[in-house]
Amino acid sequence: MNNITLTIDGKTCDGVQGDTILEVARRNDVYIPTLCFLEGLTPIGSCRMCVVEVEKNPKMLTACTTPAQDGMVVHTQTEKLREFRRQMLELIFAGRNHFCMYCSQSGDCELQDLAIEHGMDSVRYPYLYAGFDNDATHRDIQMDHNRCILCLRCIRVCAEKVGTHTLDLQKRGWNATIVSDLGRRLGESSTCTTCGACAQVCPTGTITLREFAYRGRRKDCDDVVESVCPLCSIGCRIKAYVRTGSIARVEGTSVTEPDGGQLCKKGRWTLPRSAERERISVPMIREGSHYREASWEEALDLVARNFQKAHGADSDGILVSSLCTDEELSLFVSLFKDGLGMERLDTFDGDVLRGFVKGFEPFRRQGVRPFTAAHNILDSDCIVNLSADPDEEAPVIASYMRVGTLRNGASLLNLSCKTSPFADITDVDAVTATPAQSVALVEGLAELVADLKASGSEAQEEGKISVGELAGKTGIPEETVERIINKLAGSQRPVFVLGGCLSRDPGAVTSAVNLAIASRAIFEDGIGVVPLVVSGNSLGTINTVLAKEPWIGRKKLDFLYVYSTGLVPEDEESLSAISGTKFVVVQCPFWAQPLVNFADVLLPAPAWFERSGHYCTIEGERRRLNVVVPPKGEIRGLASILKDLSAGLGVEPEKPKESPCGNLFASEKPPADARMVSLEEVRN
Amino acid sequence: MAFYRAHVLVCKGTGCSASGSSSVFDALGEEIRKRGLDQEVALVETGCHGMCEMGPIVVIYPEGSLYCRVSVDDVPEIVEEHLYKGRLVQRLLYTTPDRKVKVPRYRDIPFYSKQHRIALRNCGYINPDNIEEYIARDGYAALAKALTSMKPEEVLSEVKTSGLRGRGGGGFPTGLKWEFCRKAPGDKKYVICNADEGDPGAFMDRSILEGDPHAVIEGMMLGAYAMGADEGYIYCRAEYPLAIKRLVGAIAQAEEFGLIGDNVMDTDFSFHLHIKEGAGAFVCGEETALMASIEGERGMPRPRPPFPANKGLWGKPSNINNVETWANVPNIIRNGGSWFASIGTEKSKGTKVFALTGKVNNTGLVEVPMGTTIRDIVFDMGGGILKDRKFKAVQIGGPSGGCLTEEHLDLPVDYESLTAAGAIMGSGGLVVMDEDTCMVDVSKFFLEFTQRESCGKCVPCREGTKQMLLILEKITSGKGRMEDLKILEDLAVMVKEMSLCGLGQTAPNPVLTTLRYFRDEYETHIRDKKCLAKACSALISYLIDPDKCKKCGLCAKNCPVKCISGDRNTPYVIDQEKCIKCGTCLEVCPFQAVFKE
Repeated sequence: MNNITLTIDGKTCDGVQGDTILEVARRNDVYIPTLCFLEGLTPIGSCRMCVVEVEKNPKMLTACTTPAQDGMVVHTQTEKLREFRRQMLELIFAGRNHFCMYCSQSGDCELQDLAIEHGMDSVRYPYLYAGFDNDATHRDIQMDHNRCILCLRCIRVCAEKVGTHTLDLQKRGWNATIVSDLGRRLGESSTCTTCGACAQVCPTGTITLREFAYRGRRKDCDDVVESVCPLCSIGCRIKAYVRTGSIARVEGTSVTEPDGGQLCKKGRWTLPRSAERERISVPMIREGSHYREASWEEALDLVARNFQKAHGADSDGILVSSLCTDEELSLFVSLFKDGLGMERLDTFDGDVLRGFVKGFEPFRRQGVRPFTAAHNILDSDCIVNLSADPDEEAPVIASYMRVGTLRNGASLLNLSCKTSPFADITDVDAVTATPAQSVALVEGLAELVADLKASGSEAQEEGKISVGELAGKTGIPEETVERIINKLAGSQRPVFVLGGCLSRDPGAVTSAVNLAIASRAIFEDGIGVVPLVVSGNSLGTINTVLAKEPWIGRKKLDFLYVYSTGLVPEDEESLSAISGTKFVVVQCPFWAQPLVNFADVLLPAPAWFERSGHYCTIEGERRRLNVVVPPKGEIRGLASILKDLSAGLGVEPEKPKESPCGNLFASEKPPADARMVSLEEVRN
Repeated sequence: MAFYRAHVLVCKGTGCSASGSSSVFDALGEEIRKRGLDQEVALVETGCHGMCEMGPIVVIYPEGSLYCRVSVDDVPEIVEEHLYKGRLVQRLLYTTPDRKVKVPRYRDIPFYSKQHRIALRNCGYINPDNIEEYIARDGYAALAKALTSMKPEEVLSEVKTSGLRGRGGGGFPTGLKWEFCRKAPGDKKYVICNADEGDPGAFMDRSILEGDPHAVIEGMMLGAYAMGADEGYIYCRAEYPLAIKRLVGAIAQAEEFGLIGDNVMDTDFSFHLHIKEGAGAFVCGEETALMASIEGERGMPRPRPPFPANKGLWGKPSNINNVETWANVPNIIRNGGSWFASIGTEKSKGTKVFALTGKVNNTGLVEVPMGTTIRDIVFDMGGGILKDRKFKAVQIGGPSGGCLTEEHLDLPVDYESLTAAGAIMGSGGLVVMDEDTCMVDVSKFFLEFTQRESCGKCVPCREGTKQMLLILEKITSGKGRMEDLKILEDLAVMVKEMSLCGLGQTAPNPVLTTLRYFRDEYETHIRDKKCLAKACSALISYLIDPDKCKKCGLCAKNCPVKCISGDRNTPYVIDQEKCIKCGTCLEVCPFQAVFKE
């Protein structure tokens, strides 16, 4: 890297070859006004606010796009520039309807800030009173084209980060407006995923989220808390804005993060809306067909008595949400597993996770981490979808896959028993009739690709499967199989996205990793497999509450302690097991139906915004969840409740032996050393 | 090969086709056959001759006689008189504007005699659909010379020696531009031909593509060889169907002859050429927008740097030149760079094709050496102002250019002098205006165009041109205030300096130059609410001279809003309240009683 030195407004500024003038200026605390620029998105130099004068260059240059060069002498605040900037601001204000007092974003608007900064107290041009539409067809997102300054941030974030390319420009010049799809209104768009990224980056009041309008300006909020979205296994970082004790809005973090600072529709809406849900605020005890309020002492006493009875009869169980933090999971383990020696602990959707664990086991025994950070999808040149539905399971992964394919030029293959969820951009769509066939396809491909990569030719070893046999076995045409093999063999960094539905068969998981190893999908942190493990802290349950063998529904129990975060619906199997249990304790922040109906004792719990702790994310990081709003009333943290309960039971909790994220992120041996394993050892 | 005693060349360029040259061509063929001359006389369709005003044009060699405005009815006479009896058809010969002299020979016509045709060398002379005719005119000789006896660096240095500069408007030295691209690291490079000619009234690129497509192809191949590119794109606007048809045919023929493809002329040089049709956005003539359009993106310019030479089409080093620039290249390689450099002025070498339009007798294409004065072009070649009116101004460089006045008539036309005077070379549009032209109206006309064609990406161009246009509309409708001129001028300066691409950076030129040279006209519009040229309809009224009025009632009968009253005994009067100033009364009055004031 070559260091360069610039003089900006008389100040000596250090930079690196390849920086833009703006980057150097910002790093050296020199302020240059910007409007269309947003860190993390491709700069386009369209608003012209960041234009600077460079000595010996007759042209006005946009700081956001012009590469800095050693020895440049830059002026950012000349009289001429200030006048030009003011003129442009006036033009923007005159061009469309920027009447701040009627705008929900007033005070939260970059255009308004710039106008104030430039002393724009009047506009010398006539207002044009544009008559563009206010597109209110979308349920959550409103787009008032009259307030649009055509900075194209929304178009860029939609194309570069979300990857749907829902938004674009239509018409030209003064009549240009943002449009969704090919001329539809936003509410009629077939590609919009309602992630709300466009609104998050909009510098004016053009794209607003109804949910957050008039709930408080960003600047006026009492607090902005960084936390983690618990809703899927990625664990996207979020910023929660707090105003007068409630959540005013939830946003993704900066787009410069490796993950793009995204938030999907789940995070954007479920989190703030949950703050409005009805809470369980005091302990309650079932009396016939209704609940009565009770004191903590009474409720915990009843729980302890019933537990002891069932524990004596070996008929007790603990079912914990995988949205719990590491700390909460450890608390359960130290009391029930280590303290009381219980075996029957598990998490909802435990079967999905067990499948992954079993399928990954042979590779972990090799000392190799069998998966990789999700954002590595963006670095891949061949993305393979293995029976996943990322738009449902982890929408931000779907964004990575689309961006990887559309912008970074990766191929997209779908090997699945379902049609590709990315119909228009899939290069090879190999859809089998049954899930078993799709697993067989992956198995067979692993063998064939391994041969090809190892020998460099298509020479057949004896006893191995041939392309023709594989085609016959899976019902996929021979030429399609050939194409897949060629794509995988030709790719440098393939990555495999593994759907949760596959993991019910650990063999499927193993063969997916085998295929990844065969295709040399090797990343620094592990093998190129991204498993879509159900929820926020699914990985954290592996070393804690996850049972070795399934027990839910295998036997009628006398006692079940259910801890739910109330954010995602419980699976059918768990619910029917709960309903068949004699005495059920449900601890949940919300009146989550139908779960609460099965409870004999209901205990309040802190909601996601009232807890702190850590998550193990598939991004390969331990991320911190922070208290956004402190809990009110009788809501107590899990630690204090379990302390009382253990006192009632007369048990001393053991210190947890393993940290939940312990060995999840490290690869003891270089991933390149990974070997394929035989499937028999997993299946038997 | 058959030998003919005479060649009849019929222009089938867009201009002459529009005035019916196709049927003239067919009729000539029929007549020649009927007379049994088809073994002696060759009938050839050619590209444009440039003098489209006089089309359909028929030129007959060996005499080199040029017949103007030939219709199907004239065909028997031409065949009978000229081809059979060897006598010129006097009435079809070109007549000088003063109607005194009939010019029998093509090259003696003043329109042609002062031209120096390099880029237009073959236009109107060969059949563009026949590669052999191009080859017969030394076509592809330059390519053969380069591929077999010159290193790429030598080709490059020859172009540098020639002093050729971009003919699309920028005037950037072509050799230097090629050198940037050649030096840019990368295995894959592209050469692009910008044929998105969009200036109103400009059609030099179209004429070259229609009349001599191989010259452009050969030029691009020489460029590709010099820069190390192996693939090219011609971005041609879809509104040029004939040019596209000719290009498609030319590429196919060149491929058939082994001139395009892998291992051209058995050398290591390979070249493939594609045509991309533009969809009608003026801004796509801007190189970065053009490349975005080829890539399938919305045609919007990107800020430079990075320049296309480093990061162009699909992120690869690319070189983009205009049609006319490419067409000059084979000539430079064939005749040597110093030959080209001997033509023109010190800093502007070679020739430039201008599209001469407006209030001038001979409209059409002229190719003149750089440094020719505007007077030569307008008065000698153009034959002076229509109806002997007084010259007022000339707009050079299309909508992005500027208006120059009588004092500039002796200005030598080259890049530097034009820029200093506030105009630009542009792609070579040259609109002549007479005393009846209102300069405020002219600048409004050009701004209307650029404003409509602004892509909308950057603020100064999108919002600035709109506001400027509003001010001009205000002034031409008599509602202007003096302080508007200051706002207009400030805006124009800002838009010029702050816009992202060439479109916005040059859009204010007409306004700025008219403000500079014709400020009094603006002031008259504002102060006196008068348009002295009587062009701004809001500032004029139609009146009827009672002395001249013969009370025929034709005006009242034709008036669309029935605002003229009168009868057989009283002269007709126009009700100014109701009049919409359509001018119908003035047109229909047989006695010139209606006048504008």
